[in-house]
Amino acid sequence: MMTEADYYALFEAYAHGELAGPSRANFEARLAADPALALRFADFTEMTGTLRAYGQRQATRQQLRGMHAAMLAAEEPAAPAVATEEPARLTHTVNPMLSISRTERRLRQFWSGHRATVGVAASVAVLAVFSTLLGLDLWRTSKIKPSLYGYTVLRREVERIKKSQKDLTISLNQFGRPSSAAASPKESTISGTGFALTSEGYLVTSYHVIQGADSVLIEGRDKQRYHAEPVYSDVKHDLAILRITDKKFTGFGRLPYAIKAGQADLGERVFTLGYPREDVVYGEGALSARSGFEGDTAFYQVSIPVNPGNSGGPLLDERGNLIGVVSGRQNDAQSAAFATKSSYLVRLVDSLDAAKSGAPYHLPRFGQLAGAGRPKQVAKLRDYVFVVKVFE
Amino acid sequence: MSRGNSTSSSLTPTDDALIAAIRSGDERALSHLYRLHWPMVSHFVLQNSGSEDDAQDVYQEGVVVFYEKVRDGSLELSCQIKTYLYAVCRRLWLKRLTSKSRFGVRLLDDEEHGPYLNTGAEDDLLAAEEQDRRFSTMSEALNHLGEPCRSLLEGFYLLDKSMQDLTTEFGYTNADNAKNQKYKCLVRLKKLFFTHYKEEPI
Repeated sequence: MMTEADYYALFEAYAHGELAGPSRANFEARLAADPALALRFADFTEMTGTLRAYGQRQATRQQLRGMHAAMLAAEEPAAPAVATEEPARLTHTVNPMLSISRTERRLRQFWSGHRATVGVAASVAVLAVFSTLLGLDLWRTSKIKPSLYGYTVLRREVERIKKSQKDLTISLNQFGRPSSAAASPKESTISGTGFALTSEGYLVTSYHVIQGADSVLIEGRDKQRYHAEPVYSDVKHDLAILRITDKKFTGFGRLPYAIKAGQADLGERVFTLGYPREDVVYGEGALSARSGFEGDTAFYQVSIPVNPGNSGGPLLDERGNLIGVVSGRQNDAQSAAFATKSSYLVRLVDSLDAAKSGAPYHLPRFGQLAGAGRPKQVAKLRDYVFVVKVFE
Repeated sequence: MSRGNSTSSSLTPTDDALIAAIRSGDERALSHLYRLHWPMVSHFVLQNSGSEDDAQDVYQEGVVVFYEKVRDGSLELSCQIKTYLYAVCRRLWLKRLTSKSRFGVRLLDDEEHGPYLNTGAEDDLLAAEEQDRRFSTMSEALNHLGEPCRSLLEGFYLLDKSMQDLTTEFGYTNADNAKNQKYKCLVRLKKLFFTHYKEEPI
């Protein structure tokens, strides 16, 4: 009985063609007849074949590694001379990394590996920043409702001004008497101007002056104070009607001005009285447009310099007819003030009258100011113009 | 060898010459080929989040596949060598990336390397993988074989030494002794190799 090793000797001799004619034929016959032998032979050839191929593979690997090293070695010193050595290389311009430093290579690797992530992170950051800014802006504008962008309402925030003034006096006054500071426990926070609408005690001011008011106080030139309550407001045209509620109040007497139901003409000389500070202030100018901010036809544009506190003041023409109610001004334009047209006031009063919701309104029909000089007109008028103080 | 005149139309004359030279065992031809296509593959791998070393590994593996097919004469090339190599290396790198990454992988391709599909690279790679598995089993079997069998077999089959040299190297009294020892070693190797190789699932 042959051992397996003996068989292998036979197989190898056969594979190398070392078997002589008859024994070779004999072996081939046995291979054909004996499947076990054939299997053994197949295994043997497969194994030796694999061994040889494995050896070749290792040799090839070694060879290629050598080539790579040789290529790198040839590349390093001869980088500028590549063109002369290997013209074929120039057809491939795809490899831009001929001679770059180690750090740069690392950076490039990092970039090529993470650029998608970096891009996403960057765009998220940009998006977050801009949406935050935009959101803040929107939130801020939504908080300040009544003022349009570029439009300032002219109510006066008294508390702020008073406070800064007090600070000023205290700092000026070395002894710093606090008694003056504690004198008035309840100060109005907002003030505007108002004027008499009827002799029965109705007044007109701007809606934004009394907006959110707890109580309203009217103060005339003679420092006489009355309590008043809002009767009606017209938010759209920035108008408010007040009524004096004090029992001791007896009436304004005959009003010196008439309220014009029609429209005033362009270029008409106009003037106003108001309380941008503690004293009454006169301002004059011309009617410069028959539409208001952003083309709002309920308003006039007038070229009177107005200040916070002028809101709700009467706007009168040469003959002393009331033609409008001062409302606001444009921030980015030189002395562009806006006043609600008196025709809207008349219409509002008419509709209130028709509704019969209170005492009847008797609007003054005829003015007494026509023809008089301006100082005389103002002297008559100023008794009917009041400070409107609002407590929130 | 079916790669005759019918398919040579898509090959440039240099490609043809190169293949002929490589098959005849010209090392300079292989070296030239190696240098010629290295920039392409290295660029591809570097662009797809690989390193220089990765590129070298992938490229050498690709060239080995190509080289062994050329040497066998079993290469059926229906495109340029360049395209074939690109397809092989692309496939190899894709496999490595997918095994590394948890996410799906998308490769950035250079447009200029054209239709890398249908180059026959896929089938060749499957065969090469099978071959790799066989080789790794063989290397394992050799490792388990122990000395001096391992050195003897490696000397004879892998390093192509003659029986005479081995006899003196290992101190056998004559060549027949060495041969007998070799056969015994082969028997043991066979057991190791086939048990491992046949057991492993494909």
